[in-house]
Amino acid sequence: MKIVVFITQTQDTEARIKVDSSGNSIDTEGMKWIMNPYDEFAVEEAIKTKEAYGGEVVLITAGPQRASQALLQGLAMGADSAVHVSDEALGETVDSLVISKLVASELGKIEGVDLIFTGMKIIDEESVQVGIQIAEELGIPHLALVSKVINVKPDEKKLVCQKEIDGGSVSVEVPLPALITCPDAMNEPRYASVPNIMKAKRKPMKTVSLDDVDFGSLGIGRDAVGKSGAKIKTVSLEVPEVERKLRIIKGSDETTVKGDEIAESAKELVKLLRDDAKVI
Amino acid sequence: MSSEIWVVADIKADGQVRKVTFEVLSEARKKLGGPVCAVLLGSGVSEKASELASYGAEKIYVVDNTNLKDFNPDGYVKSLCELIKKHSPAVVLSGNTAFAEDYMPRVASGVGSGLAMDCVDIGMTDDGRLKIKRYSHSSRAISTQEFSGDGSAMIATVRPNSFKEEESAGAGQVVNEDTGVTDADIRIKVLEMKTKESDRPELTEAERVVSGGRGLASEENFNYIYDLADLLGAAAGATRAAVDAGYCPYDMQVGQTGKAVSPVLYVAVAISGSVQHFSGMGSSKVIVSINKDPEAPIFAKSDYGICGDLFQVLPPLTEELKKALSE
Ligand SMILES: Cc1cc2nc3c(=O)[nH]c(=O)nc-3n(C[C@H](O)[C@H](O)[C@H](O)COP(=O)(O)OP(=O)(O)OC[C@H]3O[C@@H](n4cnc5c(N)ncnc54)[C@H](O)[C@@H]3O)c2cc1C
Ligand SMILES: Cc1cc2nc3c(=O)[nH]c(=O)nc-3n(C[C@H](O)[C@H](O)[C@H](O)COP(=O)(O)OP(=O)(O)OC[C@H]3O[C@@H](n4cnc5c(N)ncnc54)[C@H](O)[C@@H]3O)c2cc1C
Repeated sequence: MKIVVFITQTQDTEARIKVDSSGNSIDTEGMKWIMNPYDEFAVEEAIKTKEAYGGEVVLITAGPQRASQALLQGLAMGADSAVHVSDEALGETVDSLVISKLVASELGKIEGVDLIFTGMKIIDEESVQVGIQIAEELGIPHLALVSKVINVKPDEKKLVCQKEIDGGSVSVEVPLPALITCPDAMNEPRYASVPNIMKAKRKPMKTVSLDDVDFGSLGIGRDAVGKSGAKIKTVSLEVPEVERKLRIIKGSDETTVKGDEIAESAKELVKLLRDDAKVI
Repeated sequence: MSSEIWVVADIKADGQVRKVTFEVLSEARKKLGGPVCAVLLGSGVSEKASELASYGAEKIYVVDNTNLKDFNPDGYVKSLCELIKKHSPAVVLSGNTAFAEDYMPRVASGVGSGLAMDCVDIGMTDDGRLKIKRYSHSSRAISTQEFSGDGSAMIATVRPNSFKEEESAGAGQVVNEDTGVTDADIRIKVLEMKTKESDRPELTEAERVVSGGRGLASEENFNYIYDLADLLGAAAGATRAAVDAGYCPYDMQVGQTGKAVSPVLYVAVAISGSVQHFSGMGSSKVIVSINKDPEAPIFAKSDYGICGDLFQVLPPLTEELKKALSE
């Protein structure tokens, strides 16, 4: 099996975030960059598939130089090689459509790909589209929100999965090559240990410059990479502070309510919901 | 490019039109100018056209084809791409459901359009470009975005419960279309579909939501959540930790991976308050939490709460609520 995983580096959204002076993006000064968490599930699933059926795992990312850290992590988890479409302009907001064309064209250069994994979304921009758009670029079927790969049939070139839909789930069979977008329900991503990160540095990593990209064949201009060519522009960004009322009823010792306090707290909460919040 | 504003209807497993479709039709009529039209895709859906008209659709493009059964994206992508290429609408909208997340990105690629997912506000700039607001960064940031107006259809999906649905009759002219979807277009074979009928409202549509976390400690104990939800006429939700532990099904998960909800009342029982959970419910109007840990992060992000053991607090709370609701 030849398996490709599209991964990306993202801002750590658990960290404190604030708007920069332009007013339309997040201040990335001192920002911690991590592998997109959903892409960890994608890499794990790819490695598990390789372990079960043999083959190799290739990682592809488009991003600035620092994104090679994410590739290194994926290689340390067990991927075999990586392709990095590298340009500092890819460190700014770029249309999903452009990203999908760029990375799909790199996949096009790899022969005999059977299976492709991507994350379901990236946790900073949360556009929720690049994975599926790669499938459209390649003209292959995609399965979004796959919670379980049930069965891979390399000989029949087929795959059976469970995917989540509104109000339930479906099991589906799809011909290979196919693309799967990964939520967090699939697996437990393995840890990239320090010795494995050292070893990963010796694995093949190919760097592609934007100068090597044949934009004509992608049907876009080079200016599409960057804010000026974007189909959707962010005009302003806010990090709102939601004010909450913080009326928490505690016990007399500042911990849990106990004894008679329990019934009283229930009464008080209902009163607050009725008279103060007016929601019941 | 025509000036038409399209709203693609979202159909539930039971064949009914999802409420978000009416919300989007109503808001589009108020905010976007241009004739608002509906697009009805599916198998055996034609009869739903009149409902769309009653929420203001001037025209309804209908593609009724048996190959569009089972929410299989291939046929929907082909159909919607064909319709967009043929009629060049200015704007294409739909509800942000799991199904829309599944096929809309492909449609945008197929017609070379920009796409904004999960918008919570829609409007137009003076020069006729779609302008939206959406959350990003695990819902901690909110951005205002504008389409560049390059002539391609401007496509967006809208978060359920963001707008009020209001009936207002439109002309409702039915335009039957054949997009030529055949068996050969359907690459994904559905082997089995498991949807469950529930008397509770859908999570994304509900005005009230009661969710349980890992602290519920068993599948059986989740009945505490279901009972409280039923008493309040609420939908029932959960954290990933509760879903992972097998206490409840995946489709109850609220959060960054799961569903995004914005009800008037969100009750969080035995939930610690992770960034990822808040990503899906942080915009709720009133948040109430019950947790036995006085230091639980969720208390710093709640309006009301009780620091107590859920098994001791929920029974009297349920009784008090019953009394208050029957008054
Ligand atoms: C200040 C700033 C810095 C940024 N830095 C980076 C950066 O270092 N790297 C980066 O990728 N984006 C970066 N971006 C975001 C970038 O501009 C695009 O928004 C993003 O790559 C497109 O992803 P999306 O939000 O549409 O992803 P989604 O559609 O939400 O992503 C879904 C999946 O698609 C795949 N995917 C997405 N993007 C890529 C990619 N670039 N390469 C390979 N696979 C991908 C992944 O599997 C991902 O899980 C940055 C944005 C800003 C504002
Ligand atoms: C990529 C990614 C995506 C994720 N997506 C989601 C998502 O969509 N949704 C989501 O919810 N999480 C998501 N998570 C997981 C998230 O990080 C947290 O692990 C999860 O939300 C924790 O769930 P919890 O609050 O139920 O559990 P815990 O954090 O374990 O909290 C349990 C709480 O219950 C309290 N408790 C225990 N017993 C009692 C009792 N008897 N009475 C009262 N209180 C009690 C405890 O004090 C504690 O505060 C995601 C994580 C990642 C990495």
